[in-house]
Amino acid sequence: MAKAKMLTGCRAAAEGAKAAEVEVICSYPIRPYTAIMMELAKMVANGELNAEFVHGEGEHAQLSVVLGACAAGARAYTGSSGVGVTYAMELYSPMAGGRYPVQMTIADRTLDPPGDFGSEHTDAMCTRDNGWLLGWACSPQEVYDNTLIAYRVGEDHRVMLPQMVCQDGYFISHIPDKVTLGEMSQVKEFLPPYRPIGPLSLTHPVSHGPQIRPDQGAPMDAMRAQTFLAVPKVIEEATADFNRIFGRNYDPFVEQYKLADAEIAFFIMGAHSNTCRTAVDRLRKQGVKAGMARLRWVRPWPTHQLATALGHVKAIGVVETSTSYGGAMRGGNLIHELRASLYDLDERPLVTSFMGGLGGETIWPADFDNMAKVLTQAVKEKKVRNYVQWLGM
Amino acid sequence: MAKVHEITVWARGVIMDKEGRDVINIFAQAAQMEGKFAQAFDNYEDLPDRVLVTVRKYVRLSDEEIEHKYVYTNDKPEVVVITEATIVKGIDILRGMEKGGTLIINTNRSIDDMLKLIPNANLLGTVATVDADAITGVRTVDFSGSEGGVDTSGIGKGIASPMTGAIAKVTGMIKKENLAKIVSDVSGMERGYNEVKIKKLG
Amino acid sequence: MAKELPGYGTIDVPKDRVVPFGAVTPAPVCQQDLFQTSNWRIVRPVKDDEKCTRCLICYLSCPDACWVYKEEEDVMEWVNNFCKGCQICIQECPSGALTAVPELDFPDGVARLDKPF
Repeated sequence: MAKAKMLTGCRAAAEGAKAAEVEVICSYPIRPYTAIMMELAKMVANGELNAEFVHGEGEHAQLSVVLGACAAGARAYTGSSGVGVTYAMELYSPMAGGRYPVQMTIADRTLDPPGDFGSEHTDAMCTRDNGWLLGWACSPQEVYDNTLIAYRVGEDHRVMLPQMVCQDGYFISHIPDKVTLGEMSQVKEFLPPYRPIGPLSLTHPVSHGPQIRPDQGAPMDAMRAQTFLAVPKVIEEATADFNRIFGRNYDPFVEQYKLADAEIAFFIMGAHSNTCRTAVDRLRKQGVKAGMARLRWVRPWPTHQLATALGHVKAIGVVETSTSYGGAMRGGNLIHELRASLYDLDERPLVTSFMGGLGGETIWPADFDNMAKVLTQAVKEKKVRNYVQWLGM
Repeated sequence: MAKVHEITVWARGVIMDKEGRDVINIFAQAAQMEGKFAQAFDNYEDLPDRVLVTVRKYVRLSDEEIEHKYVYTNDKPEVVVITEATIVKGIDILRGMEKGGTLIINTNRSIDDMLKLIPNANLLGTVATVDADAITGVRTVDFSGSEGGVDTSGIGKGIASPMTGAIAKVTGMIKKENLAKIVSDVSGMERGYNEVKIKKLG
Repeated sequence: MAKELPGYGTIDVPKDRVVPFGAVTPAPVCQQDLFQTSNWRIVRPVKDDEKCTRCLICYLSCPDACWVYKEEEDVMEWVNNFCKGCQICIQECPSGALTAVPELDFPDGVARLDKPF
């Protein structure tokens, strides 16, 4: 087994792309994801990676380039952050609808304003309804791993969908942590070469992205939706294979930390789950039966898995790092879907949410203690007072 | 939880960003060699792509695993390292320091001259100067690390070596022998160790 | 009708953290005091009025508009608060009237800002 190295999330993503032997890369700089492309550029320049490295003139161009590359049969890779992600908005639906399994790596950044380079999940969450696979890592190690897992799932012929592999800007992308890189033999065993369906070809000419008639629209949408019914099984298979080959221990959809006997639970994704785990440990020492459920995939949303994992908990606090202004709960995005997932249980947990880590702020250990107080109070009163609490506000 | 010792390094964007980062990385690696737990990272809010802007780098040391990974400012630095002396005029470098702290400056000016520029110098227990620029005359520039990648130009080729040598002598938090295993410029590090001027204050 | 429904909560942004409406800040009529950059400086340009011909090359070349011509006194005036010490004016001055002097040689010009930039 290879020795662990100290790598940032940016370097880990680049190592993942290198291990996947990506063939076409398209870059455009924006903090904090920039270093992923800087590292890949070095790898290509040093001859460590045999890939075509294209400088896009913007994020829209980046996505267009990798779409074309993927249509021609290449394993393609791109990425962005913050407003870069939203600038490419037009391409997300065609990429998924045309069934191009490219990978886009995201190091989260707030949208404008505030436009600081702090992490906030809103950028990638904006794209969640366009038919991409979308998931968050909570460590540089998981960034590397998810890069490989996402390619394997996305390129599976039952799926053929683009993937967004997200990491929190700065917290994951810039702070080095232990990463064990896979051996080439492991990667080869796990990730077969990309086999396109109907690639652009001189000998078998095909048209990609033609105009379709209105009466083809509904079946097209239905077929895209149908694909998502098949995705969870593929994710389960891929994760099981990954765990076996690389010796890891991922739950395919939801990391469950001390959840089995928990009375209150945090529902969270991304970097701040690391602080959350230590907070759960500390709360347990104080006699509070706390637990954590960490979401690994937002799309497909693991409805049944969440109902099973969280059904027995008395009160759940959703830690939101994205905004949904004017949404049903007036806070973030995750609470809507979590509440919907739990709706059909006979005894529903109480669910409220906490807006934290916005604009790149740290969620402090003490913040989790305060959230736990709100949840404990909800259990006692058998109701939540409010749908949302803004930490520190 | 064991006490966490905070060390803040001030540098300048682009021209010394890599040197400031080298100081924290060398410091953290040397501390880890003694079995300490260490975190080392750049301040993400600063703007390292602006030439000359003041930027912060941090080290945290502890005898136990440091629980919180995402506190990205040092609010109570015990040791402040200034890699470019003019910074003392532009920033309240001792902000948050508790009485008895340590200040190490890269300068050829006298300690007393530097103290005149620090209105809250009464917080200091120890102040030291080392003329790192005269010792090596090298300031390496590498932007990969500034953006979250991996610096490819080696570690401790420039003024970071004499700076860390001086830090080892003044603070005793890291050992010279370990530094020698990390830095590229070992003789520069040794000269920093030997040539640092130290003054104890009341 | 179900039991009492949860509320949307209240949001109280602490006074010291309130951001200007829509992040709109007062426009600098002459100087943007919210963005001083004098602490970026290692050296400052010092002028020799004898050599200076008032050609205004420094005024034209300064990226931060830190040289101002004072018509009444017929002198060039240097703007301390925003000069980053980039030394472009010193390079460009055709009459050699400007020299770079270490900032630490001057007791004035102390910024000691709370933020690095």
